[in-house]
Amino acid sequence: MIVYRCTDSAESVFTAVYRAYQEKRNHEETFVSLTDDPVLFAEDVPVKPDPEKAQKVVNTLVRRFGEDDYVHLCMALASDQEDRAQAVYRTVVDGLGRKCPRGHLFDNLANDYVHRAFALARGVSREAERQKQFLRFQELESGLMYARIGPKNNVMAFIMPHFADRLPIVNFAVHDEKHSLFGIHPAGGQWYLLQGEGVEGPIRLQLSQEEGEYQELFRQLCRSITIDQRKNWKLQRNMLPLRFREYMVEFDSGDKVSSCTSWPRSGLRRE
Amino acid sequence: MEYLVAGGKESLAEKLQVLTDAAKYDVACTSSGVERKGNGKSIGNCVAAGICHSFSGDGRCISLLKILLTNECIFDCKYCRNRRSNDIPRATFTPEEICTLTMEFYRRNYIEGLFLSSGIIRDPTFTMELLCRTLALLRNKYRFNGYVHVKAIPGADPEVIERTGYLADRMSVNLELPTAEGLRTLAPNKHRRSILTPMRQIQNGIQANRNDLALYRHAPRFVAGGQSTQVIVGATPESDYQIINVAEGLYQKFGLKRVFYSAFVNVTGDKSLPALPGGPPLLREHRLYQADWLLRFYGFRAEELLDEKHPFFNIMLDPKEDWALRHLDQFPVEINRAPLEVLLRVPGVGVKSAQRIVAARRSASLSFRDLKKIGVVLKRALYFITCSGRMMYPVKMEEDYIVRNLTSEKDRVQFGSDGMSYRQLSLFDNGEFTRSVTVEEQLQAAVGQL
Repeated sequence: MIVYRCTDSAESVFTAVYRAYQEKRNHEETFVSLTDDPVLFAEDVPVKPDPEKAQKVVNTLVRRFGEDDYVHLCMALASDQEDRAQAVYRTVVDGLGRKCPRGHLFDNLANDYVHRAFALARGVSREAERQKQFLRFQELESGLMYARIGPKNNVMAFIMPHFADRLPIVNFAVHDEKHSLFGIHPAGGQWYLLQGEGVEGPIRLQLSQEEGEYQELFRQLCRSITIDQRKNWKLQRNMLPLRFREYMVEFDSGDKVSSCTSWPRSGLRRE
Repeated sequence: MEYLVAGGKESLAEKLQVLTDAAKYDVACTSSGVERKGNGKSIGNCVAAGICHSFSGDGRCISLLKILLTNECIFDCKYCRNRRSNDIPRATFTPEEICTLTMEFYRRNYIEGLFLSSGIIRDPTFTMELLCRTLALLRNKYRFNGYVHVKAIPGADPEVIERTGYLADRMSVNLELPTAEGLRTLAPNKHRRSILTPMRQIQNGIQANRNDLALYRHAPRFVAGGQSTQVIVGATPESDYQIINVAEGLYQKFGLKRVFYSAFVNVTGDKSLPALPGGPPLLREHRLYQADWLLRFYGFRAEELLDEKHPFFNIMLDPKEDWALRHLDQFPVEINRAPLEVLLRVPGVGVKSAQRIVAARRSASLSFRDLKKIGVVLKRALYFITCSGRMMYPVKMEEDYIVRNLTSEKDRVQFGSDGMSYRQLSLFDNGEFTRSVTVEEQLQAAVGQL
């Protein structure tokens, strides 16, 4: 048994896939792992990310499976589950092995690895959609639009194109607090990612003058649009899980915003 | 154009309060149907699937800034909160206020666009002209490229409606009451013909625009997201069968994208309206939406779901289960062979899972375990399907038996026989734990031998 030990990056995983094929491994007995957990009777092979090899794998994936399925594989790799590398590796093996036509990589859901990769990609894609829905920009004094998010998966790369397309003439920054990652978009320019230990968000947000007014107006809109005879907190919670509300201006989020009174605390409890 | 009745003394917040309150009974808050990339120079794009940005306390989505231009109205429709004879605070937005609100909310990702409706001031054409001018301001001066849904006012000049159509992504004319008779009693100023005329006009406009677009790729788009309408459920004595037939007619003859159903909420307290002490008929509304989906995505026809003898939907069962139980001769269906249209008619199988089944069975024969992974709701489907010729459990193909099992709180069939169960397995499911502890064991435990 062979275990390829990768670091947490798509490049590293794709390099491992390349090496598994280059070294003609038996795929049934080969694993790609992102952790250092020891495996009994297995030979550990550390993988050094190699941009050239990874690029070759990417080219093959795009050529054989099509752009969409390649993006889905990347989404599966952006998940926070530990078995993502193995699922992606074996999905690729399955797809190449049965010579699947473009756009049909995830058809074979009866295969456990394909299903796992499919489920991971679906999870990430859903979370990215959720962030597109619930992300809230706040205008800072400098005119910059600033948003905080706290997603489980690393979805930044999948939401930035959406906002860059939507707000091309706006300076904005999205701060992923869980992964200490910034997505930055300068007005009229290309967006880019910023990551690192030294990078920190603004310590105290200096909001612009109108920001508070518009937040209050929106809170009021949310209040008055509710039809009392149809109140259904459970449905609201299904559609808008509590973990997103910390980052949303229309909900009480502890110290940050406190003037939203129409969302009764009792409503959030289980009825 | 001078139209402000009460000189605009209220603050923006007060106006927003009054005018969202007045617009909230309109159901349509979708932002779907149009895929439009940003143009790099102005703010906004559209996503075909639509995006909901928040959910209000009643669980409905907040996708668009849903407001009225004004809640002044010359009409006196009995079901409507904004009718002439109702004594409520009135307010009117200026076009600039609407544009600023839309842009500022949009920039902060609060909304996906604007939903603009209005009470009737002076006459329908004048009101429509105001809506059109507001949209023109938003699109041309504020250069808003996001989603706009606007109401077509029944009885307005067709020329104004056409101009508005080029500025909006979706237009809607509310049918409100499914039959002409209901309309006559509750909305004396509206006539069925005046509602259907703009609807037909928009339909023809969309069709003509489609031909233009085939010829000239960059021709301006007319109501790209199609049109929708709304029907109030429970204000008049129409049956579900009548409503669903009307909806089917609208989909087929008027090419509508959506028909919305709105459970009637008695906000006016008019004596000719039902009192509804148990709250609005939400379950009925839910069943109508389920049937609506069956019409649009599952290939059902209205007369298959209901008929003169059964004019109302079953309270206990959803429309698809109900249909399947009345057609047990067509079941069980073999998952590995049945065509897509047949799979779509199986309760517990949705459009996505049916498509996945068809794709997955090319490479492997599917078992019940695979179906669960694919997303089929086996709790409902198991009575109607076989995998490789076998049913999941031995079940009787008998209407009473299946109804009893489908409607029960707990799953009646003995699960767990093949390791699959809908209940979380507990440590104490082991028979060893059900007997009581003996004195001997207590002693052993006390001295650490156990």
